[in-house]
Amino acid sequence: MNIVTGFFYLFSTVLIASAVMVISARNPVHSVLFLILAFVNAAGLFLLLGAEFLAMILVIVYVGAVAVLFLFVVMMLDVDFAELKQGFLQYLPVGALIGIAVLVELVFVLGTWFQAPGELITRASAVKPGVSNTQALGQVLYTQYVYFFEISGLILLTAMIGAIVLTLRHKVGVKRQDIAQQVARTKETAMEVKKVPSRVGV
Amino acid sequence: MQSVIADYLPLVIFMALSLVIGGALLVAPFALAFKAPDSEKLSAYECGFKAFDDARMKFDIRFYLVSLLFIIFDLEVAFLFPWAIAFKDVGLFGFWAMIIFLGVLTIGFVYEWNKGALEWD
Amino acid sequence: MIPLEHYLTVAAILFTLGVAGIFLNRKNVIIIMMSVELILLAVNINLVAFSSFFGDLTGQVFALFILTVAAAEAAIGLAILVTYYRNRGSIAVEDINMMKG
Repeated sequence: MNIVTGFFYLFSTVLIASAVMVISARNPVHSVLFLILAFVNAAGLFLLLGAEFLAMILVIVYVGAVAVLFLFVVMMLDVDFAELKQGFLQYLPVGALIGIAVLVELVFVLGTWFQAPGELITRASAVKPGVSNTQALGQVLYTQYVYFFEISGLILLTAMIGAIVLTLRHKVGVKRQDIAQQVARTKETAMEVKKVPSRVGV
Repeated sequence: MQSVIADYLPLVIFMALSLVIGGALLVAPFALAFKAPDSEKLSAYECGFKAFDDARMKFDIRFYLVSLLFIIFDLEVAFLFPWAIAFKDVGLFGFWAMIIFLGVLTIGFVYEWNKGALEWD
Repeated sequence: MIPLEHYLTVAAILFTLGVAGIFLNRKNVIIIMMSVELILLAVNINLVAFSSFFGDLTGQVFALFILTVAAAEAAIGLAILVTYYRNRGSIAVEDINMMKG
């Protein structure tokens, strides 16, 4: 058993164990933290597969951003989670049954699949030797898959606008700084010179 | 595949070392520290908060909006990395593809600015 | 070199756990969304494993797009959840019935 195999079993064991904890933890904060652990271990698996860029993106985007978002929501909503947990045991037989059925089907697929002869000719973008993973991705991402790339930009735009529309609420009656208005002030709009006769007042 | 492991050996050593140091610092006080407990020392102290209270207080939804916008721009930057590395290979086509991508997200940025999503109040 | 089947088995177990998580936590929308993230992660492992073993980058490109879509989906889903909570004061799945005819 060499070192790669050891790391594979380490990563996959921790990945599956933390996935079990995600769906069974009593406290949703723990669920989120185990989700982070699962993503970190999946990043390790990606590294073993040679997909370095995806491993780093998984850590940056998921551990750094998406998990934080989940944590925010769990902490932000003042919900009695014990109440939501009720019925867990009631659903356990159904859940386990469906889980086992799906797993058995997937294992059947694993046992019988085979590689079609001459499949390697049909590769859409074969890995070139001597090119690093990130560079190879860059070579195909912006040329061969350019439409997918632009569509993902549109999806991000949709997400941004949707998030603003859904969650942005301004308080009414807040005074805002308007820099253009400030700069546009002149001597005439800002002050007024009055002739005040003495001993009379304004 | 073997070279990947060789490349990441420093990372493995770093993580192992940090685990050892962190674990040692966690365990050592139990063995080494001088103990003279009294009730004031044992009580939890947090400046300005009740010591034992529900950790869940509703905090402002605007924090959520900020982190949401952070995710979007995080992904945008993630797409820039392979572009920067393969810049010479993708040529003018790849350059303009990225400019269009950035332009689409700039539309969102302008919208966000005009809506005042970046302001606090 | 670890055989491809090992990676596929890990992905299959992860996928199953995600599906089971949806059934087990039927009341809690947040856990359901985390289960969906687990399912997408399993799909990503499958794609990257095939991509690596067949020497074809397409799988990794698609995994990258799946990551993008999953992040956008989580962001919007949680935004909807927050808005819903503000209106109803609850996130239980069975309370989401206002559109029932």
